[in-house]
Amino acid sequence: MDTEKKIISEAADNSAQEPMLDNQIPACAIPDVHEAHEIGNGMSKKQAMEIRMQHMNRQEIAYLRRKQLVEMCWPLFRFLILFGLGFVILTPLLFMISYGFRDQIDMNDPTIIWIPRHLTLRVMKQTIDAMGLTQTKNNPLVNTLVLNVGCSVCQVITCAITGYGFARFKFKGKNLLFGIVILMILVPTQIISIPLYSTFRNFLFGNVNLIDHMLVMYLPAMTANGIRAGLMIFIFRQFFRGLPKELEDAAYLDGCGPFMTFLRVMIPNAGASFLTVFLFSIVWYWNDSYVAGAFFTNTKTISLVLKNLDDILNIEIFHNANANVSAREKIVWLEAGCLISITPMLILYAFLQKHFTEGIERSGIVG
Amino acid sequence: MKISYERRKALYGYGFISVWLLGTLLWFLVPLFESLCYCFMDNAQLKPDVGGMCKVWLWNAGQSMFENFKYVFAGDPEYKQDLLIVLKDTAITTPMILIFSLFIAVILNQKFKGRGFARAIFFLPVIIATGPVYNIISGNITSTGADSSAQFSTLFETDIVGELLEFLGVMKINSHLSDMINSVVTNIFGLIWSSGIQILIFLAALQNIPVSAKEAASMEGATAWEYFWKITLPYVSPMILANFIYTVIDSFTKSNNLVMERVLSKQLDWDYAHAASMVWSYFAIVMLVVGIVTAVINRFIFYEVE
Repeated sequence: MDTEKKIISEAADNSAQEPMLDNQIPACAIPDVHEAHEIGNGMSKKQAMEIRMQHMNRQEIAYLRRKQLVEMCWPLFRFLILFGLGFVILTPLLFMISYGFRDQIDMNDPTIIWIPRHLTLRVMKQTIDAMGLTQTKNNPLVNTLVLNVGCSVCQVITCAITGYGFARFKFKGKNLLFGIVILMILVPTQIISIPLYSTFRNFLFGNVNLIDHMLVMYLPAMTANGIRAGLMIFIFRQFFRGLPKELEDAAYLDGCGPFMTFLRVMIPNAGASFLTVFLFSIVWYWNDSYVAGAFFTNTKTISLVLKNLDDILNIEIFHNANANVSAREKIVWLEAGCLISITPMLILYAFLQKHFTEGIERSGIVG
Repeated sequence: MKISYERRKALYGYGFISVWLLGTLLWFLVPLFESLCYCFMDNAQLKPDVGGMCKVWLWNAGQSMFENFKYVFAGDPEYKQDLLIVLKDTAITTPMILIFSLFIAVILNQKFKGRGFARAIFFLPVIIATGPVYNIISGNITSTGADSSAQFSTLFETDIVGELLEFLGVMKINSHLSDMINSVVTNIFGLIWSSGIQILIFLAALQNIPVSAKEAASMEGATAWEYFWKITLPYVSPMILANFIYTVIDSFTKSNNLVMERVLSKQLDWDYAHAASMVWSYFAIVMLVVGIVTAVINRFIFYEVE
């Protein structure tokens, strides 16, 4: 700290004295200098530095040298770290792309690792057919989209309302009820899935069997209890707590009831937060295989198909004896399946990446 | 009848949360309670029946109250081992994920060219890693040997660390430590892939550090190292706790969680009481540890006084 100050004052002194030090500097390096701040105009940075350093003691020079060294090396290190880790993250993607588009023959060629020799779309097409993405009835893609978008919309709306209730109103038992929200975040789905199964199996006192019906996903989503609903309520509550209380008071004076305040004043302010939660909800529903797997037997979703991809491929493609595909060759189909199932999310991410990453900051989860 | 404004607002509050409350009762609290009850029911008779489950309490069946837990811990051949493996794994990876994600967040918070691109890549796992995709890929990558982490780990497979420690004379801890380092290095793929959200949260916390603190530190001539320990760490410490809890909870839903796999296979065998006992004891142990750690960390957390 002291060194720094000294350096600053010294530097100021130096530049003031500089014009008088002509004899110490090679003449060619100095154009005519009238003012202190013009020094260095004609010389390289290194020369200027050298001149400045002549008037420093050893400690100060060491400090500057070290600082310079760190500033020079750090970007390189940073690049290496980010590049290496980024590569680890991207490996699976590159892997999928590399394997998904190659012919199975390439798997038996030990000289091929990343760049395929026989590019083909055949494997892709076969996998798409096997996954049932081309059939008109019970199409996993359609099922997933219907579930995904519908549930996410329901869930975001109900969670926002609940979060607002927790953020802006005082009522008895609020802390206890919010404790339940925290419990919802903590408790793994596996705990409640069996009783939930029997609830849905014998819905309305045993009169209706909801298993395999999309309502098993829709009903919880419509009542703010879908996948990771606790987390969403928490995010919305944090966000609404951050909005100024004056907004509410002004709306009240203008004759808005609490619900109208929420609809007219709060929601327009929460656009970014809504979008972020909605996007995450879509991703979570898309990737969920546990809840869907517990309640669906015939209704297929992309994630369920992917989970059983191995079996499905065995039935659909490798069933006849001539197929004769080794375990190593199967990887080609598996990777193609993976690539197909994540492509929609990748596209979504590519276009809305900002909302994924910046929304969380804006939604005020921190603070 | 006239109701005061305060009172009316409270009623509106109930109105706002009523939808959630109904749903929580139906889809969360009742099933939660029921599954807790399953732990104390006769496994052999707990079967789906017409109009619900056939339920017989253990004491009515003439058995001891903790019969299921006894079976789970003493009778089940795999559960205890799986539980130990998973707990150990969580205990090792959680701090690693926290340190790693804080490190990456600090780097991604600096200004440099291509920062947006780097951020986009590091959050990519948030989109993909949660699905069964992870299982398939990591299996395939390892089996084809194109695994970057496998190539990476061969560097360490000669146990350089162990030899170094042996050389230094720290014989006792060396095998454990090098085991740990080895498991981290071979698992670097999993580590990076499960720290997307954590990086995001840390990054948000880093951006909330007031500029004034930054300026004051640079005026005082703080080095980057000092800055990290004296400014960054205190400011993000609440988020360390949040991330810790998130990481632990996230480990429940990891697709390669052995305990959950075991529970699932028990469910498929209609052993509901045993499955419930397994998942509840797992949950209870983890929550106990989380509670203790939270209490300890809480003493060191710096909360900005508002």
